Amino acid sequence: MPIAFEKVNYIYAPKTPFQYEALKCIDLAIELNKITAIIGPTGSGKSTLVQHLNALLVPTDGTVYILDRELSSNQKNKDLKSLRQRVGLVFQFPEYQLFEETILKDVMFGPLNFKMSEEDARQKSMTALTMVGLDESFYERSPLDISGGQKRRVAIAGILAINPDVLVLDEPTAGLDPQGAKSMMELFVELNRKYKKTILIVTHDMDHVLNYCDNVVVMKKGEVITHQQVNDFFFKGESVKEIEMALPQRLRVVEALREKGFKLDSKISDIKELANAIKKEISHE
Amino acid sequence: MNNIALGRYLPLDSIVHKMDPRYKLVAMLVLMIAIFFPSGYIGYAIIGSFVLFSLLLAKLNIKMILRAMKPMLFMLVFLTFVNTLVLRTGYVLIDLFGFKVYSDAIFQTLYITIRLLLMIMVTTILTASTKPLDLTLAIEDLFSPLKRFGFPAHEIAMMISIALRFIPTLIDETNRIMKAQASRGVDLKEGTFKEKIMAILSLIVPLFVSSFQRAEELADAMEARGYIPSAKRTRYKQLKHTMKDWVMMFCVICVLGSVIWISL
Repeated sequence: MPIAFEKVNYIYAPKTPFQYEALKCIDLAIELNKITAIIGPTGSGKSTLVQHLNALLVPTDGTVYILDRELSSNQKNKDLKSLRQRVGLVFQFPEYQLFEETILKDVMFGPLNFKMSEEDARQKSMTALTMVGLDESFYERSPLDISGGQKRRVAIAGILAINPDVLVLDEPTAGLDPQGAKSMMELFVELNRKYKKTILIVTHDMDHVLNYCDNVVVMKKGEVITHQQVNDFFFKGESVKEIEMALPQRLRVVEALREKGFKLDSKISDIKELANAIKKEISHE
Repeated sequence: MNNIALGRYLPLDSIVHKMDPRYKLVAMLVLMIAIFFPSGYIGYAIIGSFVLFSLLLAKLNIKMILRAMKPMLFMLVFLTFVNTLVLRTGYVLIDLFGFKVYSDAIFQTLYITIRLLLMIMVTTILTASTKPLDLTLAIEDLFSPLKRFGFPAHEIAMMISIALRFIPTLIDETNRIMKAQASRGVDLKEGTFKEKIMAILSLIVPLFVSSFQRAEELADAMEARGYIPSAKRTRYKQLKHTMKDWVMMFCVICVLGSVIWISL
C-alpha cells in the first residue's frame, strides 16, 4: 500500500480565536522506496504534513493512507504504536529529546518501547550508531555532554534503531556544518538504496534536493503546489521559478555563465559535465 | 493544556481593560478583604452585584467563569459532606433515619461556595483584563516605596515577568518533546507502572535540560546588553491614572465600607 493523502485539512485550535488552517485540501501520493523532498517557505505546512505520517496529528477532514493503515477523524485510531514502529519520524532539532544516562541506553529506548528483546535492541542500536558514524567510545558517554552535531546523530540513531520502513526527517541537516550535512544526506541515500527504505525529507537546502532526492513536493500556504520528479522540477517547465527559493548553486553558476554569454545547455545536471562544457566554451575563444 | 480559562488574558476592548493596572490590583485586594468579612447575604449581594457589574463592563462571559469553577465542584461536594457530619448547630433541616442534617451545615457550605465564586470572579476580571506584563509593572510600582528599605521591587517584578513570558514557550516545548518521544514509542496513557515512570522521565529530563540551557542563554543575552538589576532605567510604557480609575476606587471603597458597616 502506498502513502497517500486524500482531501486532508488540518486546523490548529479549531473553534477558538486562535484557529489556524495549516493544511488545505491536500491530495498527495508518495512513492515507496524513493527519497522525496518536501520544500516550501516557513509556515507553509511542511511540519504539519509530516506529523500526519505517524499519526501524531490526525486530519481534521479527509483521510491519510499509510502502508496498510487508514487514518481519519471519524474513526477510532487504535494501536498507533505499531504504525509508529513502521514510520519513524525525526523532529527538527531532535537533540532535545535525549535523556538517558548513556548514549547507548538512549538509542535503545525506542526499540525497547516497541517490545524488542534487550539483546536485539542492543544489537540494532549499535548498528544504528555505527551508521551515523559514532563508534564504541561513545556508547557509555552521557548524551548531554557531546557536541550539538553528535547529539543530532544520536537522536537520528534513536529512530534508525527502531528499524522503520518509512523514515521521515524534518530538516535533519539544519544547523550542521557542510561536511556533517553531506555525510548525513549520504547516509539517507544509502538507507534508501541498500535497505529499500522510503525516505521523506523536509528541507530548505535546494542543493540537497538536486543532489540526493528522487521526487520533490513543493508546499505553499498549506497547499501542495507541485509534486514532480527532481529532474523534471529543475530542468523542465517553469514551476521551479515560481517558488521564491534560492536555486541550487550549480544551476546558479550555469545561469550566471549564460548571462555572461557562455553558450551552455541550461539542463546540465552533473558537475563534471558542466566542467567539460565550460572548458569547451573557453577553448573555442 | 489549551483550555486554561483561569488567569488568561483576553484581548478585548473595554473600559476595564483601559484602566490603570495599579488601581485594578489595589481594587482587587480591597474586594478580597470585603469578601472575607462575615457580612451575611446582604453583604454578598452588594459585593456580588458590584462584581457582576464590572464583569459586564469588562465584556467578559459569565459562562467562562462558571467553566473555570468546574474543577472545584469536587471540592464543594467534599465540603458539603464534611460540614453535614461536623456542624451540629442551628435547627434540624432534614432527618434521615435518625441522622440529622443541621441548617448551619448547609448555610456554611453556601457561604464558602459564594466566597469562592466571588474570589474567582474578581481575580479573573483582573487577569483577563490586564496584560501580565502590565501587572508586573503595577507590582513594581506599588512596591517601589519599599526600595528605600532595600526591598528588591524591580528584581522581583523582572523575575515574575520572565516567568510569565516563558509559560507559553514551555508549553510548546512540552508538546514538542511529547511528540518526539511518542515517535519513539512512548505511550503516556497505557503501559505498566515502570513504563509510565520511564515515559514521564523521558519528558521531564529534556524539559529541564532545555530550560536550564534557555535560562543561561537568556542571562548571557541580558548581560551582553548591559543589564544591571540595580541600574536606574526609564520605561517606554508609563502608567497613567485617569478619572475612571478614581471612580472605580471610590466604588470599591464604598463596597468595603458598607460590608464593614453591615458586619458590625
